[in-house]
Amino acid sequence: MAQYLPVVTLLALAVLFAALSFVASRLLAPRNPTAAKSAPYECGIVPSREPPERFPVRFYLVAMIFIVFDIEIIFLYPYAVISGELGAFGLVEMIVFVVAVFASFVFLIANGALDWGPSRRLRRVDPRVSAERTTATTVRRVGLDGREEAA
Amino acid sequence: MTAASLLAADPLLAGKVDLAVVLIVALKAVIVLAFLLVATMLMIWFERKVHADMTNRIGPNQAGPFGILQSVADGVKVFFKEDLLPDRADRFVFRLAPFLSVVPAFLTFAVVPIGGNFSDADGGVIELFGHRTLLQLADPPIGVLLVLAMSSIAVYGVMLAGWSSGSKYPLLGSVRASAQMVSYEAALGLSTVTVVLVAGTLTTSGIVAAQHTWNWNLWATGIVPFVVFLIAATAELNRPPFDLVEAEQELVGGFHTEYSGVRFAMYYLAEFMNTVTMSAIIVTLFLGGPNGPVLVGPEWLWGIVWFFAKLMLLLFTFAWFRATLPRFRYDQLMDLGWKALIPLALGWLLLMIAIRVGSDEGWNPILVMVVGVAALAAGYALLVLAGRTARRNRELAGAHL
Amino acid sequence: MTLLATVNSDVPFNVAQNVGFGVIAVLMVTGALRVVTTNNVVHAALWLVLVLAGAAAQFILLAAEFVAITQVLVYIGAIVVLFLFGVMLTRAPIRGEAGLTRSNWFGGALVGVLLLGLLSFTLLDTFGGDRLPADTRLTLRPAAVSQAEGTEPTAGSNVGAVSDSIFSRYLIPFEAVSVLLTAALIGAIVLARKE
Repeated sequence: MAQYLPVVTLLALAVLFAALSFVASRLLAPRNPTAAKSAPYECGIVPSREPPERFPVRFYLVAMIFIVFDIEIIFLYPYAVISGELGAFGLVEMIVFVVAVFASFVFLIANGALDWGPSRRLRRVDPRVSAERTTATTVRRVGLDGREEAA
Repeated sequence: MTAASLLAADPLLAGKVDLAVVLIVALKAVIVLAFLLVATMLMIWFERKVHADMTNRIGPNQAGPFGILQSVADGVKVFFKEDLLPDRADRFVFRLAPFLSVVPAFLTFAVVPIGGNFSDADGGVIELFGHRTLLQLADPPIGVLLVLAMSSIAVYGVMLAGWSSGSKYPLLGSVRASAQMVSYEAALGLSTVTVVLVAGTLTTSGIVAAQHTWNWNLWATGIVPFVVFLIAATAELNRPPFDLVEAEQELVGGFHTEYSGVRFAMYYLAEFMNTVTMSAIIVTLFLGGPNGPVLVGPEWLWGIVWFFAKLMLLLFTFAWFRATLPRFRYDQLMDLGWKALIPLALGWLLLMIAIRVGSDEGWNPILVMVVGVAALAAGYALLVLAGRTARRNRELAGAHL
Repeated sequence: MTLLATVNSDVPFNVAQNVGFGVIAVLMVTGALRVVTTNNVVHAALWLVLVLAGAAAQFILLAAEFVAITQVLVYIGAIVVLFLFGVMLTRAPIRGEAGLTRSNWFGGALVGVLLLGLLSFTLLDTFGGDRLPADTRLTLRPAAVSQAEGTEPTAGSNVGAVSDSIFSRYLIPFEAVSVLLTAALIGAIVLARKE
């Protein structure tokens, strides 16, 4: 397809540009790695822990839900191109298609699959009531002595 | 099918491909490459200057007049900096990742029409060395989808950089970043469908041609897709206020923490180049591309002038966002993308389809509007209800997932 | 367009297109072999990306660009990303897995070869020496040619043709896709609900 010839040309140029930059840096830049320099970055201290190996499953869920939406979006494009020719029939088709996915999306949200917030929201407690831990929060409020008079 | 879509292909490549054609293509490609590099350098300087002005500082002012050569100086310097390869890195992937970030940044610009007169039936075709061609590098029939494909490949650059570094902050940053980019890609794709619906074609030249005489998609699609696209693009670019990827208080530098020297510069370049490219895409999709009135002087010049004027406006907007808006929290970011932008873009698309079909079929427009808005409201109510249910369950259970 | 994809011309063999096919095919086969021989899961996923990108390039050579871009968006942009997420979220040692057993490689290779044979046989048996009919909407002719012939110029793209067939001939499968996507989302809910 000749229409893609320019894209391939630009691809080759971009790869060449990046590769030549790396070559130039290899020739120009100093090279004396030490153990401290090539250790994993840890704000200046010696790393004591392995990088995390497990992440919340929600990241995986996002990728999975994205696949569903990606496929749905891909099907919307052919419709958008010829929507004028399809008329009311196409509208009904699209509504059926979108509503089916939207319904399960609502169900998904109701089940909390896309919730990222803290599992309990902090309730604002009146600071004058208690400086102790409450059932709603484990944050212990300190330094209220002076504020009591001020309030 | 509109007249615009019949002119879908670049006439330069429609006929016989001879040496002159190949040379024109090569010339265009070199120009795009050089333009992008210069524009990115200037964008870095421009953003620093605007940000400095907005925060009452001076900003770069040493290299060249107004410090305009600061990025060039930084660029040259970076070649002389040591390029470290971390001990625990996966050497192959660590070296590959910058390519996967910088190459898509270049390629996206290939489909942007930067000039040409789209007011007549010719659809932006100009004469160049006796050959008829478009003022854009390539005009593939699936133009808009190429933009989406490139942004989906850019995810790899970020993801692999973090994984291959063998260090904890890059890994955390890259997992965050790739989940963010993937989420907002859906919103990006959905708001673009509305543009395709209005233009009736996937080619960028066709989309621009459909917008001539002030019929910009900004209002032809009813503003909402533009707003969704702008927000999703900002998030896709990992720019403030969506720069959680490199939230330095939490993650040091994010996915490129372990990168140094010219490899780091590649990520930096890709980030700002993507900003320039994405602004150009927004101009093409929503702001009429090079369309605008011809005032005085040569006709061909004004398309380019208008394109760059609109581009500057958007680049300023992105710099303005950076100086003004505080960073989102991760749960807010995900909520905005999934629970607000995606349903909004989808609902708006259905409403637009209904309105267009309604006017074709001669339905009562008021009735269509009322039914459409009622349906959207019902969908919104369902979403709110679902959100409440989730929150109640979560608070009852004390934990989720 | 005259450069490649002259499917309906009198020339039976297009050199550029076939050279392109050969180069990409070699890359794809190499990538596919590396997918199964590397002992690093992330490298395997990257080689898989190479194979999928090669398939997309082949689709472009066949003038099926909508399919090609779908291949990139869905397979490279979503499904392999999901693989990588899965790998990263569990455990992906950077140095690669050392204690991998390959005792079943013979069985795997056998199944692979059998599948290849089955698919090739089916394709050859169904399509064999078929040619695309000269007047199909799928053929791409430059506007100049169609003007000279006095025919309606094609849109320079087969996206319209793909859309037409999705919304007429393949309407039922299209609606079935929405049901399938619903099923996938419900699967995600099952994952989310960790009792």
